[in-house]
Amino acid sequence: MSLSPMAPAAAWVLAGLLLLLAGVCLLQRHLWRACQGFVAFALLMSLAWLLLGAPWLALAEALLGALLTGGLLLWTLRGRGALPRLPTLDRTARRGRLAAPLRWLLILTWLGLIATALVGLLGLEALAPPASVTTLLAATGVLIMGLGLWAFSTQRHLLRRLLAFNLLGSGVFLVLAGLAGPGAEIRGLILIGLVVALLGSVLGAALLLRLHARAGQVTLNPVFGT
Amino acid sequence: MSPTPLHLLWLLFAPLALGLLAWVRPPRHSGWVLLAALPLPLVALWLLLGVETGPMAGRLALGPLTLHWRLDGLAASLWLLTQLLLLASALYAASYAHATPLRTRGYAWLWPLLGGLALGLGLIWIAADLLLLYAGLELMGLCAVGMMLLPGSVEALTAGLRYLLFALVGSLTWLLGIALLLGAWGRLDLAGLAAVAQPDPVTQIAVALLASGLLLKGAIFPLHSWLAPVHDSAWTPISAIHGALVVKASFFILLLLWRALLPEAIAGAWALGLLGSLAVLWGGVQAWRAVGLKQLVAWSTVGQLGYLMLAFPLLAGTSAAVALMAWQATWLQLAGHALAKAAMFMAAGNLLLSTGAHRLEGLTGTSRRLPLSLMTFGFAAVTLMGLPPSAGFTAKWLWLQASLASGQWLWVLVLALGSLLSAIYVFRVLRCSFVEDAPEPAFRPLPLGMELIALVLALAAIGLGLAAAWPLSFLAPAGVP
Repeated sequence: MSLSPMAPAAAWVLAGLLLLLAGVCLLQRHLWRACQGFVAFALLMSLAWLLLGAPWLALAEALLGALLTGGLLLWTLRGRGALPRLPTLDRTARRGRLAAPLRWLLILTWLGLIATALVGLLGLEALAPPASVTTLLAATGVLIMGLGLWAFSTQRHLLRRLLAFNLLGSGVFLVLAGLAGPGAEIRGLILIGLVVALLGSVLGAALLLRLHARAGQVTLNPVFGT
Repeated sequence: MSPTPLHLLWLLFAPLALGLLAWVRPPRHSGWVLLAALPLPLVALWLLLGVETGPMAGRLALGPLTLHWRLDGLAASLWLLTQLLLLASALYAASYAHATPLRTRGYAWLWPLLGGLALGLGLIWIAADLLLLYAGLELMGLCAVGMMLLPGSVEALTAGLRYLLFALVGSLTWLLGIALLLGAWGRLDLAGLAAVAQPDPVTQIAVALLASGLLLKGAIFPLHSWLAPVHDSAWTPISAIHGALVVKASFFILLLLWRALLPEAIAGAWALGLLGSLAVLWGGVQAWRAVGLKQLVAWSTVGQLGYLMLAFPLLAGTSAAVALMAWQATWLQLAGHALAKAAMFMAAGNLLLSTGAHRLEGLTGTSRRLPLSLMTFGFAAVTLMGLPPSAGFTAKWLWLQASLASGQWLWVLVLALGSLLSAIYVFRVLRCSFVEDAPEPAFRPLPLGMELIALVLALAAIGLGLAAAWPLSFLAPAGVP
């Protein structure tokens, strides 16, 4: 495991930008901009891998994440052949307040478990404030996971949920690399993870287009249809 | 000649190659399928006989990455079961395409997905590190989602999308658990992890994350909500293979990890056992209340999976004799249920296809017009209810003895209530089909092959109970690993 020394200032800027783009991607109701935000986020992730000394992973992230997954999401919005185009603005309401306590319980349990494990593995003094680049990225990963989980569980629009899943995955990758450094196993795991995210997004996007064409709905529940 | 790693590689990739071939030219006759795919279970059987002397294990270096694999008696038995059930589903699918108009493109896609599923399951059975398990699990999951979508109806699309979202989140939970294990112990191979890992809080959190991902993918209560809608709209051969194998693979991985990482965690094992008990009761009650026949069979899967979870409390911290009984019961139940559930889905599919009905009330008159399929349904139900001489009976008997011997009385109650509930929902189906005075629907004739495949599987589940000693002899002869 060889970490090229990255200036702490550059790492802080990178972490801040990653969080900012994740926020844009998840909060933006204009789907076109949200997907563009995702492409930018994936390119930034690729930069992060490059700075961590894993050029092949950077290439895979740029190719699988930014180009293929991001391109696929944009292409889904553009419309395909005879299938009707998706509306580019998400007008569906968020999920009701009824299940909100349960949702927050799940999100906080997830984050609490990870935080406990991170503190157990890295020690409290390494995390507050994050001293090394890897721990900084792991902490960023936890925050991105939090955002992704919130978006995945409160939003209804399926394209936005796919985006949230992809960001959640990126957060997991950052925690993975932050915990164990970009070794051979980690690269293998992240590579499989990227392929799975791509295939899952392809399946999800194809299904969404067909569902929209046949029933005019962009959510799982027909009541909140179009 | 004794098996070599090349034979394993062949058995992993041959189904995928056949599937791609069939994608180009979808088979119109089940004879061709039988001819092409028969070598697969035969090779699997030969491998099983080959590992009788001792397990095979090895590693594969891909650049800086090392993958570990291991083929023992349990893995080889499950692989043989997988190949047999895949062959049965493929044969059924070829006849099914004759009997009902399927979308041509969808039918062509069925085959490579079936091949991918075979590869994913094979990887899961022989994997000995978390990376390979991850790859197998994801391949299996994505192929399973793809297969569920083939009908293309709005219901299938919505149910499939929900399944996809669940499976994707499950895979991320699993990845996070691996991240923690790797961060804590620095390795991914199961044998090495079992040697170095201590049951400290980080390992417990990691296993909790891995377990929740697997429970989500395996439809174990309370994360089962995606299962019934998915089966409701899927094609019959796909439901059969999914209910028989796909959900079991998650359980297999969970038990493997639990034995390797937290063998002595009694509180966690009891929690899993209690979840399983709730699954038995809730699945049974929902099957009792189900409106459609396929929904009933799907809910019964939720209940039957719950029994398997009893393995955790009966294996954790119990005496060697109790653990051995629980170990044997678990795999017997898994194999028996896989055969019986595939048979039951096929029989239910036959009944629905022939009557054109969707609800249970539409089955009136089937006792006279479709005796073979109804009898198959009954035979499969014998295993699910745990009546002698089926595999389900032997498994429940072993569990009962294990519960009594270890003083864990609660499971006796669960076993009794679960059998009662399964009897109730099975007899609900039989009562509807024996109604004679209702107006009879127009029956569509079925190819004999479809009925025979289901019957053979149901009889195999009963036969497994009669000849349980032979498969059990392959399961860790030296006791529970």
